[in-house]
Amino acid sequence: MADNPTTITLTIDGQEVTVAKGTTILRAAKQAGKDVPHYCYHDGLSSPAMCRLCLVEVEGAPKPMPACVTQATDGQVVHTESEQALDFRRGVLEFYLVNHPLDCPICDQSGECKLQDYVHEEGRKHGRSREPKRIFGRDDFGGDVLFYGDRCVMCTRCVRFMTEVERDARLTVVERGNRSVIDTFFEEGLEGTHWHGNIVDICPVGALVSKDFLYKARAWDLEHTDSICPSCSQGCNISLHVRDNLVQRLKPRDNLEVNGFWMCDHGRLNYEWLNRGDRLEAPLVRSESGVRAMGWREALAAFLEAAAGAAGNAVRAVASPRASNEDLGAFRALVESLGGGDIVYRMSRAADEVVLKGFPSLARRRDLAPNGRGAELLGMLRVGSDEGTGGLEDVADHDGIVLVLGDALDDQAPDFGSSAALFVHLATHASAASANAHFVLPITSFAEQEGSFTNLNGRVQRFWPGIRAPGAARPAWFVIGVTLAERTGSTAPRSAAESFASLGSSFPPFAGMSYDDLGTGGALVNQPVSLSGD
Amino acid sequence: MAITVKRMERPEPERTSYLRAALSGMALTFKHMVNPVKVTQQYPEEQTDLHPRWRGTHRMEVHADGRPKCVACGLCPTVCPANCIRLVGGEDDQGNRYPIVYEIDEFRCIFCGMCQEVCPVEAIHVGRHFENAEYTRDRFVYDLERLMEQDHPTALLWDPSDPRSE
Repeated sequence: MADNPTTITLTIDGQEVTVAKGTTILRAAKQAGKDVPHYCYHDGLSSPAMCRLCLVEVEGAPKPMPACVTQATDGQVVHTESEQALDFRRGVLEFYLVNHPLDCPICDQSGECKLQDYVHEEGRKHGRSREPKRIFGRDDFGGDVLFYGDRCVMCTRCVRFMTEVERDARLTVVERGNRSVIDTFFEEGLEGTHWHGNIVDICPVGALVSKDFLYKARAWDLEHTDSICPSCSQGCNISLHVRDNLVQRLKPRDNLEVNGFWMCDHGRLNYEWLNRGDRLEAPLVRSESGVRAMGWREALAAFLEAAAGAAGNAVRAVASPRASNEDLGAFRALVESLGGGDIVYRMSRAADEVVLKGFPSLARRRDLAPNGRGAELLGMLRVGSDEGTGGLEDVADHDGIVLVLGDALDDQAPDFGSSAALFVHLATHASAASANAHFVLPITSFAEQEGSFTNLNGRVQRFWPGIRAPGAARPAWFVIGVTLAERTGSTAPRSAAESFASLGSSFPPFAGMSYDDLGTGGALVNQPVSLSGD
Repeated sequence: MAITVKRMERPEPERTSYLRAALSGMALTFKHMVNPVKVTQQYPEEQTDLHPRWRGTHRMEVHADGRPKCVACGLCPTVCPANCIRLVGGEDDQGNRYPIVYEIDEFRCIFCGMCQEVCPVEAIHVGRHFENAEYTRDRFVYDLERLMEQDHPTALLWDPSDPRSE
């Protein structure tokens, strides 16, 4: 490629790789499918080349070269697996273990620890150090972070994250040599910062651990499911870490278009509601003789009968910005089928955005729900206060048909919907208001179903089910789809993919989109999205 | 085809007589009458000597102050092929990792001893013990307290003088 000055070709472990000029050896090796061990290097941070673990053998170079800062040059021959390169790493790893306490059995990082991995793969079997290890004990850094100084490998990723990405230098390295340790300034700690959970993620060892997750589960017991953070309209890509059908923690997934490698603490720690035990588990149907739990077939037959009886009444509908695009689209179709009408939704709004200064396209947005934009694109209207309450006065005493999807109506008076001719509440949880509903239909939360959210920039992103739905709860798009199919004699969508694909025919923003186009990174809707809502 | 008849020679009467065998059997009987060899063990008055590597119901080792030695590392439930160990870890008042729940279902257990082998702090052991009768089935799910109460000797998983079985 000598005639093309923007790319170079080098050989890594006998494999030719062509990369852009200026690429480091470590990134070139990644392109070639070789993972050069490293601690201090992180894709989202600067490279100080201080962990010395990414040393590789470069033919012609007089000494081992750190792959994370050495730029690849044309015709270079690099060995990452040669006896020499392994020797470099074995030596470095031995030094790491001089002061490491080897307390893997009680360390939360065990199972996802880079020191454990590398030493297991390439390190010496037995330590030769006979000197006593230095002991720091553990330190509370404030916020959600605990620091175990003995386990630290001094990669300074956390210090650089706070300085370069969060731009609030709360951490630093104090002392020198083998006494050096990460510390906070005086008693300030990390309290009050909004992104410090990320330093737990990027810590390659168990030096920084989450208090929330402390000793809760082992890394190898957790099942990971790709999902989308439901806490604001940014739509950070996350994965749900699940054990025993309970979400144990949320971790960010890489997506440079949306959240880079990061997520905020607000979203990270806002998952307990997914594990609530007081869920609706069976369709509840109210008649003169009282409320009765039924099977779906019976309940939907009763609903169709009631819907036919209530035909002609005006429809007022409430949706939730926590419901997926598929659910909202199906709900819209249900409302149209019963005569049509406005659909409103309520969404809490924070006082201000919390922007990640080093990655300004990422922020904890003001709208504290994942799919407000989706609801807007599907023609729904926002009502209520910034706390996500009120605004339903028209619906509460409506005497026609009242349909509620997803909104638990927690703030509503116990007589909400009591005068309605037909009140249907599709919800995950019951509230005082749902006692008035003629039909309470249990639906799943986003963690229990497949679907997609539209974030504030109009990016549609998919999520997958991570936990089992309780009892007979089913996704709203499925429940509504089956009902409408019965009512109109059409076919119900058989999957979330079909349900999503059918959105396009009624709603131009989604026209022509399908799950295949979204992939794991998402895709933008067809029409430019105004930022008026923010 | 001509038929040939094979003529069997009948053995001599002294070879076919049962008298010799009966006498030798009775000789053995009389020998034991005057010189008895004890083979019946009077269990339970007399207890059996179990092999040092016998693997029976579990036992949890405790520290001198009565805390379990277990640090809730999660290796035994991970390695257990019968999936009989339930462990929920947590933090105690001194900030140590410890098992909030530690249960072994001795009915599911196949007594392979891998939990003892994998334990990094030598807390869980299989025991040299076999008398496990209970009146109810649920008594066979041993909780942490019960495991700590057990006081039978623990199994040796290998011979210390010959650790590699050579």
